[in-house]
Order: sequence, then C-alpha cells, then structure tokens
Amino acid sequence: MFETSGITQWLFDHGVSTMALELLIAMCVLATLVSVARYIFGTRTYGIYAPILLAIAYSYTGLKYGLAITLVVILTSILSYSILKRIRMHYITRIATNYTILAMILVLFFVVIDRFGFNLENMSNIPPLAFISIAALSDFFIKQYIKKSFKGSILPLLSTIFVAIVGWFVISRDVISEYMLNNLWIVPLLTVINLLLGKFSGLRIKEYFRFRISKENASN
Amino acid sequence: MQVTNSSFSKILGLNRRNQEYVRPYNSSASKAIADNKILTKRILKKELIQTPDVYKLIRSKRQLQFLDWKSLPNSFVIKPNKGTGGSGIIVFYGKKKGQEAWIRPNGSVMTKRDIILHIENILEGRFSMGSRNDIAIIEERIKTDPLLKQYSYKGVPDIRIICFNQVPVMAMLRLPTKRSNGTANLHSGAICTGIDLETGITTYSMHMQTSIFKNDTYKLIDSTLDLQENKPLSGIQIPYWNEMLKIALKCQNSSKLGYIGVDIAIDSEKGPVVFEINARPGLGIQVANQTGLRWRLEKVKDLKIKSIAHGIRVAKNLFGGEIEESIEAISGRKVLNITERISVYHKGTDISKIKRLRTVKKEIVKAFMDTGILTSRISSTLANRIGFLTTNKEIQKFNIPNRFGSFKEAQEYLDKFEKEILQIPDVKRLAKILEDGEIKIRPVFEVPIKLSDTVKVTEFVSTDAQDSTYSVVIGRSELSGYLIDTSDTF
Repeated sequence: MFETSGITQWLFDHGVSTMALELLIAMCVLATLVSVARYIFGTRTYGIYAPILLAIAYSYTGLKYGLAITLVVILTSILSYSILKRIRMHYITRIATNYTILAMILVLFFVVIDRFGFNLENMSNIPPLAFISIAALSDFFIKQYIKKSFKGSILPLLSTIFVAIVGWFVISRDVISEYMLNNLWIVPLLTVINLLLGKFSGLRIKEYFRFRISKENASN
Repeated sequence: MQVTNSSFSKILGLNRRNQEYVRPYNSSASKAIADNKILTKRILKKELIQTPDVYKLIRSKRQLQFLDWKSLPNSFVIKPNKGTGGSGIIVFYGKKKGQEAWIRPNGSVMTKRDIILHIENILEGRFSMGSRNDIAIIEERIKTDPLLKQYSYKGVPDIRIICFNQVPVMAMLRLPTKRSNGTANLHSGAICTGIDLETGITTYSMHMQTSIFKNDTYKLIDSTLDLQENKPLSGIQIPYWNEMLKIALKCQNSSKLGYIGVDIAIDSEKGPVVFEINARPGLGIQVANQTGLRWRLEKVKDLKIKSIAHGIRVAKNLFGGEIEESIEAISGRKVLNITERISVYHKGTDISKIKRLRTVKKEIVKAFMDTGILTSRISSTLANRIGFLTTNKEIQKFNIPNRFGSFKEAQEYLDKFEKEILQIPDVKRLAKILEDGEIKIRPVFEVPIKLSDTVKVTEFVSTDAQDSTYSVVIGRSELSGYLIDTSDTF
C-alpha cells in the first residue's frame, strides 16, 4: 500500500528483519499509549511492561483468543492464590505452585476447547510464546493482590487489559503498521510526545471525576 | 467551598504534585528518610517528637529465629520498614491465654507460626517499595484517644497535616471503618474529614464510593457509617490542635521535606504521636476539605517564614475560618457575630443600584444581634441622619404620650390615632414596644441595609433611647437563616 522508504529498505538490507522492525515500532507506539493513558487519562496499569506484552500477545493470538486465555489465566490465578494463601509457605514457592496449576488448567482448557469448540476452534494454531506472555499477567496480578486488596488489584488489571486492547487495535491495523514501517520519523515523534507528556502538569481526566462531588451527594 | 467544574484550576492533580512540588522541593535524601520508618523515628526523636516505641527490629531470618516472644507485650504492631500504603501492617490487640497466639482487630487469631511467616514475607520485601529486602518493625500499639475512638471502627484514627514552605496548608482526620478493616487508608474505605486549620474543628466528611469502577471517587457523608450509634462528623474539636500543627512543622524542619504530609495519631496516654511522614501525600485531602491544594500552595510558595509560630499564624490567617463556611454548607445557615458591622442606606435608596454603584449614600455602623426582640430597632438620631428627620418632626406634632401604663392602653391609643399618624409619608406602621422598661408607641420605617453580604429593605422601629451602645439592633425577624456566634461577647 505504501512505498518502502529508503531508510526502511536500508535497514532491511542491513540485518533488520521486517518482523523485528514491526515489533520495535509497535513497542514504541504501545509505550506511548501507556504514557498517554497514565498521564492524560489517569489509567493505572500494571506498569508499562504488562500492557505492552499483552497487546503484542493479542496481536499474535487475535483478540478473541487472547481475551479467552486472559480470562482463564486470571480466574485460575485468583482461585489458586486464594487457596494457596491459606497454606503456610514461602512466597516464591507459592507463585511457582500457581504457575504449575496455571499450566495444567491451560492444557485442560485447550482440551475442552478442542472437544466443545465454544467458537474458539483454532486455538491450536496460537504460537505458544503468545499464551505464555499472557500467562505472565498472573505474576503482575498476584504481586498487586498481595500488597493491596482484591478490589485494589482488579482495577489496574482491567485498566491493563483495556490499554492492551487499545494497543492491539492500533498495532494490528495493517494500514497503520505499514505506514509506520515506511515512515520511521514517527519514532522520534513518539519520543517528542513522551518528552512533552513528561512535562505535562495538568489534571488527568480521571481527576476531573475524582474531585467532583455529584449534585445529589452535595445536597445531603 | 464546593469543588465545582469552575474551581478545577484550584485543584492539585498528581501530575502537578509530582512535577512542581515533590520533585523540586523534596530531595532524594529527604524522600529516603520519609520512606524509611526507622530513619524517620531516629530523626524525629532528636526533635523530641514522639513516635510509637519500637520493641524489636528484625533484620534477618536468623534474628527472627532467636526472637524472644515472651518479651513482647500482649498488644503490638508489626510493620515493614519500607512499606507502602499501609500494606503488610498487622495490629494485635491481645494475646490468647496460655497460647502463643495473638488476636487481630477483626477477631481472627494468628499463631506464632503465622506471624513468623508474615515477618519472613516482610524480610523478603513482599510489602516494600521495589520489593527489596526489608526490615520488620515490632512496635507499640497506639491506644486511641477516647474522643476520637467513638468515631472510628476498631483501628487508630489519625490526622494528616500537609505542610509546604513551613506553613500547614491543609489537614484532615482519617477514621477507620468496618470496610477499611480498621485501617485509616482512604482507598481501603476509611472516612476522611476536613479540618478547619484555624480552630481544628472538623468540616466535611467523605467516603470512597463502594463500586470498584468508581474506586477513586467520593461521596459526601454527614455521620459515621457502621458504628452502633451514628455520630455527626462535623464540628468535632481535634484535641491538641495547635500542638499538632507545631509537630507537623517540626517534622518538616527535621526531614527537610519541602512538601510533606505528616500523619499524627493521638494516644490516650502520650498525646500526639507521629505515625509517619510522607513525601508524596495523597490528594484525597482536597475532597475532604472541599477546596483545592494548588491555590493554597501557590499562596505560601514565596513567603519567608521566620519561625514555626509564624508559619502557624500565616496558615490560620490565610486558610482558617472554613468552619463558618462549612456550617453554612451543612446547615444552610450563615454565621453572624453577636455584633456585626452593617451598612445602613439612606431613605429611599434603590436596592437594585446598591450592588452596581459604590457611591450610594450609607452609614456603616456596628449592629447588635438580639434574638430577644422581634422587629429590628434604629436610634432616632441615626434615622434622622439617613433621611427621616422630617418624618420624625411630623410624628412629634402628634404628641404621642412618652409612656403607656399597659399594652392594652397603648392599643387603645393606636385604635384611635393610628390611621391619622400613618398619613405621614414614610411611616410604615406604628409599633408597641418595651423600651427601658416602659411601654411606648414608636413609628416603623423601612430602611435598606446590608447584613452579611445580603442587601434588603428591613423594617426598623425608630427608638429614642439615649443610653443605647448600638444605634442599630437587629431583631429575630431578620435573623432567621443565621446562626449567632457569641464568642466575641466577652
């Protein structure tokens, strides 16, 4: 659709693969999306790494399959951690146990999908690294769950998934990724956007709601 | 002041807090002090500021292995040295008889093995910033002051004071609830109540919305939530208020944090005890106080504060007096002093012009608020000055008796002559009044006045009392909707 730019072609000729370049650009876009979400909207995610990882994983699994695996990962983590926390054991062993349970449940999930379908017939074609990346979400979730309450950890989880979905939408559009691949000036532009965001001192969108008392409440 | 869309410019957001206050005014060294409870205790101790006594410090699993459990008192608190947001803190209220097990505020019991596991998690850095290895602190449990105890569910309520440039700029009381499981953390569901900096009296109260999707929004409440007896939360006088302001500023001096949040609890025996100092205090305090932090911080930014007393004086002068505004908001009534300066406008002044024109003729007088009389009174001298001279002269021609034996007698006189006297221009009606112990008949005039920012035409009985200190006395017919503050009386 877009003509390959000189610099892109030069990079291809000098050992940079198309896939690597696409992924690196996607990483820049996703990182900027997370900063915009945090500093403009006030969306608190599990750091910057989790939403990037999740968005890239979704781009490999497809959103439907990605969300299905995410749901299984989260439900399993909640369930297994709720049981494991009753048992006196060290933290790392507890997390490791959680991962082993998660692995078994995921295998079971694939078998169930193979048997019953549930509109997820192509599960076996998903690259294993993609669902392992989604499974890593479990660690982010449990770390938050230990420090804060269940409620306190579910909100950043939902925000992380939401930002990842937006990220997936942006990076999985062929027209966008092809345009960026052939217009590499976008990368320094993203750097400038992040530098400007770093200096932004205005209220975050969420704060407009946080610091507003509804009329109904104010008249109490 | 209610936070509305138009006042968002006064609000301090997280972006600006970090960019303009935390980074420039809080050095890394100062932040390191605030983030380290042991270091904070050490530094505050030098300033003779009380903090909870430390029973044990556990730095390694080996120390934990050799911990003398018998030397611990029945009630104590375990907390991580570098914990954030209250995570990892466990309070023990008492020990189970004959067992090595301790009771938590919610009634659950933790055995020695459970506690060891928790301490091991602390040592591994599970509750600490950056998950680095940490130290477990076993310290004294604060015994809450009885006054504040009645407003909180189990845990220890604390007072947060935010100071900037050596001036206390905002304060709130945090009350643990059932939902917050006895902690004073707003995000866990504790109640936050604004405090008037001048008086130390609580104003508005807020509570986080219960829905997780509204996790960061608050609702206005007026009484405690889950105690057996619901108690009003506004109007509580915080004990040791001035001392607490002093302590907060001392903490700022000793930690060298330019922008600081100081958490102080009140122990029933020791008085104010500093729980912790915070280099990045949260912004929920603005909702509790219904005003923004930003304008307050801007106001004190360039001031040169000479001493702690000076800082407190500045805070009280600049930011005090919210209590009157909040009473108005809560009860819908304004507060008037027992004596108020009011403007008395000349006869026939068009009140619609008063707001627009500054040159309107008026007399500024000190008026006395008297709920003992119904209709307001104005001295004939002042009435003459504002344009009722001719009217008063006309009335004198009727030779109304100076006194009557009874109200009945006065009424009989009125029945006879009232119609005739009311022919005089500007006389609204005649009133039977008791003045200096005598029953009199006096004319009533309509006079425009300005009382507490409200301009209105008011009925005044013109009196001829010679020895009255006040030329204007405002009666209760004009005082409905106001609360009278009598503290200036004596």
